[in-house]
Amino acid sequence: MSGGSARSLGKGSAPPGPVPEGLIRVYSMRFCPYAQRTRLVLTAKGIRHEVININLKNKPEWFFKKNPSGLVPVLETSLGQLICESAITCEYLDEAYPGKKLWPSDPYEKACQKMVFESFSKVPPLIARILRTQNKEDCSGLKEELQKEITKLEEVLTDKKTTFFGGNSLSMIDYLIWPWFERLEALELNECVDQAPTLKLWMAAMKKDPTVSSLLTDVKTFQGFLSLYLQDSPEACDYGL
Amino acid sequence: MTDDATRTLGKGSIPPGPVPEGVIRLYSMRFCPYAHRTRLVLRAKGIRHEVININLRNKPEWYFTKHPFGQIPVLENSKCQLIYESVIACEYLDDAYPGRKLYPYDPYERARQKMLLELFYKVPHLTKECLVALRCGRDCTDLKLALRQEFCNLEEILGYQNTVFFGGDCISMIDYLFWPWFERLDVYGIADCVNHTPTLRLWIAAMKQDPTVCSLLTDKNTFLGFLNLYFQNNPAAFDYGLSC
Repeated sequence: MSGGSARSLGKGSAPPGPVPEGLIRVYSMRFCPYAQRTRLVLTAKGIRHEVININLKNKPEWFFKKNPSGLVPVLETSLGQLICESAITCEYLDEAYPGKKLWPSDPYEKACQKMVFESFSKVPPLIARILRTQNKEDCSGLKEELQKEITKLEEVLTDKKTTFFGGNSLSMIDYLIWPWFERLEALELNECVDQAPTLKLWMAAMKKDPTVSSLLTDVKTFQGFLSLYLQDSPEACDYGL
Repeated sequence: MTDDATRTLGKGSIPPGPVPEGVIRLYSMRFCPYAHRTRLVLRAKGIRHEVININLRNKPEWYFTKHPFGQIPVLENSKCQLIYESVIACEYLDDAYPGRKLYPYDPYERARQKMLLELFYKVPHLTKECLVALRCGRDCTDLKLALRQEFCNLEEILGYQNTVFFGGDCISMIDYLFWPWFERLDVYGIADCVNHTPTLRLWIAAMKQDPTVCSLLTDKNTFLGFLNLYFQNNPAAFDYGLSC
């Protein structure tokens, strides 16, 4: 595995030096789904990169100079340019680097993928809320909402009659939504795709993709991380190292 | 008078036919800020288009075949392709049509504009909440404070960049995406929210000199007429100011 398995940097750590030419740096966290989007694109496009993991429960002071919100992922180029927000980092990488384009070249097809992305955007905050909810009643209400959103995606994919959301090969939209589907099993939310056979097929196809499978985290490791993370432990981000 | 000065279509109206080749259709409403973004881009790029205004309080049944929730703006082309979400529609137009590119070519500069758009995300909601509060006679001190804070953030960026526009020294996509809410500050009764942001005021003045922005400016009395009827829940609001 690449530098993605390095210990995270926390408070008091020395700020990293400038990014060497010919490389791009991603500030990340091994279990963060948003940062996983960026790592998927970096890997899919074969972009030479280095990963600096940030301890999100004990953030280094210097990291706020990279992103005032203190969130990952952040890209930093050898020119010192900083790009934040996972979807923006993914689009930047697709535009700035040669090789296989992950966004379709047809403007309408690209717009379609962005409309699916918009539709998907309710899922991450829902899952985050489910994780934080102790109350069983609230939880089942949230799971119902999640079910509704997943049903919408099932309909989109069924209508398209293709394996992936962008057609018969993997493209940007698949990578952008994948990290949350990868986590369904570890979060014990697999029931939400029970009524979504097309999505289940998509998930199986995604797991076979070399890029996706190279960045897969096993269920036990993720659960180990999650348990510590929900307790605000500064050890969470390095679980399993 | 702009090219969208047509009466709205409502319940019971006949669905419009297919879009003729060589033209793109925009489903819109004359006073909607989100649709305003798309109209700005259509005009800035000189794209041949037709506008169908939708009565948002009395939506035609057929309109839900254009958008699942009946929202605007929606673009429809002659291939029956539908594009919605104002930002996606604007990007589609910039990608699909030749001529002047509104987003920069450089990937980093494009990313910067998209990051700026993220910074703007609270503004539409806050301006609308201020408007509603004022119209309902409620106190909106906290809301205005929050809005001023957002404007301070934008002021800082302009100051740091030392450029006239958000994308540089020429107007570009990000400026058009922000503009509709700034145009509405005065008629919403919250123009004082830019009292402490001089660079933002300079930007507003520069925007008003842009030919595209200028050509789509709605006069204050017409807008007030719309707002008055809108807050009385009168479906005639959307056609306020049309002579025919």
